[in-house]
Amino acid sequence: MQKNLPHICPSCSSTLKVKSLVCEKCATEVTGVFNLPLLASLTQQEQDFIVAFVKSSGSLKIMAQQLGLSYPTVRNLLDDIILKIETNQKNQK
Amino acid sequence: MKKWLFNPFMYIAGTKSLFIGLAIMAATATIGFYSHTHFDGVVDMHNGRISALPFYFWEQLIDWGTVVVIFFITGKIFSKSSIRFIDVAGTMAMARWVAIFSAVIGFGINAPNVMPHSTDDILKVITPSFVLFGLLSLVFIIWMIALMYNAFRVSCNMKGSQATGLFILSLIIAEIISKLEIYILYSKTI
Repeated sequence: MQKNLPHICPSCSSTLKVKSLVCEKCATEVTGVFNLPLLASLTQQEQDFIVAFVKSSGSLKIMAQQLGLSYPTVRNLLDDIILKIETNQKNQK
Repeated sequence: MKKWLFNPFMYIAGTKSLFIGLAIMAATATIGFYSHTHFDGVVDMHNGRISALPFYFWEQLIDWGTVVVIFFITGKIFSKSSIRFIDVAGTMAMARWVAIFSAVIGFGINAPNVMPHSTDDILKVITPSFVLFGLLSLVFIIWMIALMYNAFRVSCNMKGSQATGLFILSLIIAEIISKLEIYILYSKTI
């Protein structure tokens, strides 16, 4: 089962921070308060879209062909992600 | 299947949908000529008046062209995306494809070439087949409006109540302008 990284507090709906990181090999643990990477707040589907976007050198036309969708549909998906990232950036500040 | 019927623009837009739409509009105009079906407004369909073939093509072009210009302007003003003219033109052309059914249905309506002047004249026109085919054509007009709404949403990246409000407003404006244009077309050539 693939576990999704939670980024919103289930109790108060605030943005979660990273408290500790651990090395699986030697069990070294680093603790502190770190911001989650911006892209981690996106859904898996949105992250996959960004990966595909980068792989296609940022060409929406190529992406539209690969995904079997029309150009404006792909552009709309990208615009929605941009809007979500901008909102998350504002919230992190 | 439902997506293809009501929102094919998720998969087809731009030049491809423009050529498909224009080809079907030409076929609709030709069938309309033989069934005496006029599309004398963005979402209008009237049967009975006999006109020369070019008028049926002009009506199609005016309906489509007016919709494209009005919705493109609306999209440019209100959309946060960088919308393309070709997407609005293409999706709006393809959204008119169901009008071909209304043109075919026109063969069944068979309305008279002149305006009825008395109650008796009107009663003669309103036969069961007239009502049946009239209602059927209404279904296709509603389907076309649903397609136009989705064409607007996809090509201009509009969502929610803003999309619905702007669509209704733009459609009313386009309807009024297209009616005026078609009125001018007929009054200048008669």
